[in-house]
Amino acid sequence: MRKLYSIGLIRGLLWQILGTAIGIGILTGIRVLMRLPAWKAESAVVFGALLGSLFFLYGVGAVDDWIKVAAGKEVSEPDESGWGRRRYFGVSYDHKVIGIQYLVLSLVLMVVGGSFALTFRSELASTGLQFLTLMEYNTLMSLHGMVMIIGILVGVAAFMNYLIPLMIGARDMAFPRLNAFGFWLAVPASIILLSSMALGGFDTGWTGYPPLSVRAPIGVQMFFLGVSLAGMGTIVSSLNVLTTAIRMRADGMTGFRLPIFVWGSLATSFISLTATQLIGLSFQMVMFERLFGMGFFDPAKGGNPILFQHLFWFYSHPAVYVFVLPGLGIISELLPVFARKPLYGYKWVAISSFGIALIGFLVWGHHMFASGMAQYLRVPFMYSTLLVAVPTGVKFFSWLGTLWRGKIVFPVPMLFVLAGIVVFLLGGLTGPPNATVATDLQLTDTYFIVGHFHDTMFGGYIFPFFAAIYFWFPKMTGRRLNETLGKIHFWLMAPAFIVLSTLMMRIGLLGMRRRIADYDPTLNLAVDNRVMTAAGFLIALGILVFIINAFWSMRNGEITTGNVWNSRSPEWQVPSPMPVHNYDKPFEVVGEPYDYGLPGSVYVKFKEAE
Amino acid sequence: MEHPSKSSTLRLGLLVLGALAVLTAAEFAIALTINIWQILAVIPILKALLVFYYYMHITRLFEEDKDLNRESFSYKLATNRIGLWLFLISDSFIFGGLMISRINLLGLTRPDLIQYLGLGVTTVLLISSFFANRAEVSMEYGDHKQFIRSISLTIGLGILFLIGVLGVEWRLAPFGPETNLAGAIFYVMTGFHAFHVFTGMIFLLIVLRNGRRMLYSAEKHWAVEASVVYWHFVDVVWFFFYPALYLIGTLAQS
Repeated sequence: MRKLYSIGLIRGLLWQILGTAIGIGILTGIRVLMRLPAWKAESAVVFGALLGSLFFLYGVGAVDDWIKVAAGKEVSEPDESGWGRRRYFGVSYDHKVIGIQYLVLSLVLMVVGGSFALTFRSELASTGLQFLTLMEYNTLMSLHGMVMIIGILVGVAAFMNYLIPLMIGARDMAFPRLNAFGFWLAVPASIILLSSMALGGFDTGWTGYPPLSVRAPIGVQMFFLGVSLAGMGTIVSSLNVLTTAIRMRADGMTGFRLPIFVWGSLATSFISLTATQLIGLSFQMVMFERLFGMGFFDPAKGGNPILFQHLFWFYSHPAVYVFVLPGLGIISELLPVFARKPLYGYKWVAISSFGIALIGFLVWGHHMFASGMAQYLRVPFMYSTLLVAVPTGVKFFSWLGTLWRGKIVFPVPMLFVLAGIVVFLLGGLTGPPNATVATDLQLTDTYFIVGHFHDTMFGGYIFPFFAAIYFWFPKMTGRRLNETLGKIHFWLMAPAFIVLSTLMMRIGLLGMRRRIADYDPTLNLAVDNRVMTAAGFLIALGILVFIINAFWSMRNGEITTGNVWNSRSPEWQVPSPMPVHNYDKPFEVVGEPYDYGLPGSVYVKFKEAE
Repeated sequence: MEHPSKSSTLRLGLLVLGALAVLTAAEFAIALTINIWQILAVIPILKALLVFYYYMHITRLFEEDKDLNRESFSYKLATNRIGLWLFLISDSFIFGGLMISRINLLGLTRPDLIQYLGLGVTTVLLISSFFANRAEVSMEYGDHKQFIRSISLTIGLGILFLIGVLGVEWRLAPFGPETNLAGAIFYVMTGFHAFHVFTGMIFLLIVLRNGRRMLYSAEKHWAVEASVVYWHFVDVVWFFFYPALYLIGTLAQS
């Protein structure tokens, strides 16, 4: 028992249960003291969940050092080199451990969210309701959206945490304790988010628009609270990334010698640092509306439901750039390695990340063309949205220029990179029809939008994410993922996904509305839907192959300690896996980062010990 | 760079307080007489700039590093400052969102509140900001006694502010959060702000406790600086919330 309790994660979960119970007790007690009816499930559950997450953070040990500092005691960085595998199940300050923790959490969340999708996709395989009730369908569909979004945010944080200090030659992130805190906040947040299923679910979609969300079952409160907490986690993590990249760069690493991935991460962090507060605020306002009867979004009290949509989309549109910018950074990072050529137009690619981020702040209204927003706002939002194509086009141009006449090799990471480019192109080209007011009014709330969105997410995030896992797995473990299994994974997933998303757009154009549990048999969409369900299962099979591969390769994979991919990036110049404190000798940047194939060019030079 | 003397730094703090007080009084007078919202919107910006420059030392962010060794105290201090300011930027978006909601939902109307109480709590918070600055300056010059006195006064004034808003205004307001929009906006804005005041007071209390145990010195007092800068930030937020809730526009129909 004691041994089990010494594992941080289990301790945290026990404390969370305790905290939830105490929270429910306190709130009921207060109600009794205030002479209100003792039991009100909604406020008790919300307060319990909030206190439970705080107790989790205490139990797991994420705030121990801060409590010590507040009590005036000395704190020191623990020496974690002898901890072995236990480091991964408790609080560790090492950015590499936190990165891998984030990565595992991200995969768990995406498997959960994916299984939700498979469930309701099976329901859609034929018309009529087969095995889900309407409420169950709505809950699964809504949670699929938000669980995947949190999973992606966590996955983005995984690679930012793991790679940025290695790429810029820092010993760790700027604020290691804050970093651990941010990760451990995501764990109770995910639990709270998923607990909404046990509390009646909710039927609002991932957007949670009022007034529907004001009337939904209590589950929606857990959804709002979970997302708010996860949002706080992303805020502190992005704060950390920004500070690290500003302050901890190696000598000679000027702005235009930063790896593109770091540029993308900076743009991403800039968005999530600022805009995330607004989704938190909008969700909390609905929570207050439900708990205290405040009428922000209730037209009967003079409130304005459109205000919610403005606040919500001010984050939620830039959020998609939060997902894709690091992914596009990974594509730009890996293409030159496998094309053995310099990255074409480095400076423009670097700037384009910030271009996308800045324009991304000005386009949120395109989600609201059909919502009753002021009419005159539609056209400016349309043009600003179309403008996003320009910096994105810069990236595509650079990728094509990099591939042109390169000596391309095709290991698994490169396959995923190329699939990412193709799928993101599909997603990008289907964007303008949604951005243009005239066509969007026809397309809005159809499966066309769903297809477009999944294309951008898979192209901009999922495929680059897998490319990154295959690419950096040797760095993390010292072993290589099996290439054959990797190719099976790829050839199961990529074609199936393209079929799936293309059919989504097709049925959307034929008139299938998004988010519905059933569709009209006379539309003749049953065959398409059945093929889509089959494609969905093929993707799941691919992911299963990947998971088996990861577990198998962790023990039995080919041992590789050297520069597997012949990369120029500093982390590959030292043996894998990385030692606890990264580089033994600091390095200096003396050349351009992506000058592959140019004779005599050097990027980093390790300083001799003085 | 030559350091200004302690007394001149303290005098500067007092001058800034004077300027802020004049601006606040002007705000109040304008609201009672001509009530032009454009002027009432500009004055808080001026007040905020004064505080950013003189109390929160925004220029320290742009100082060159004296010591380029990553492990040195001064390098880490500058890193911490950037982290803190990034957090403040992030936090200001939540207050910005609240302001946008207020403008969207209430426009040129305002909740029916007790004017003199509003002016009173604003003054209290302003003076607490002055003492927070005084505490930080005292610590910079190693004057522990004055530091303890000033920080205790800051906390005391903070408690007074919370009593004024939560204890008096919340109880005496002629509406509840569910009555009407003005009530909803009033409670959510003051609630979010009071939560920040509360957390700021926790930081100040920790700093006070550790300060009494002589854990800070003239060279190393990052915790003091951070909690004081955060306190000023909370005050700046109130600069904007005060006219938005009490001064701008006509009374909302209830």
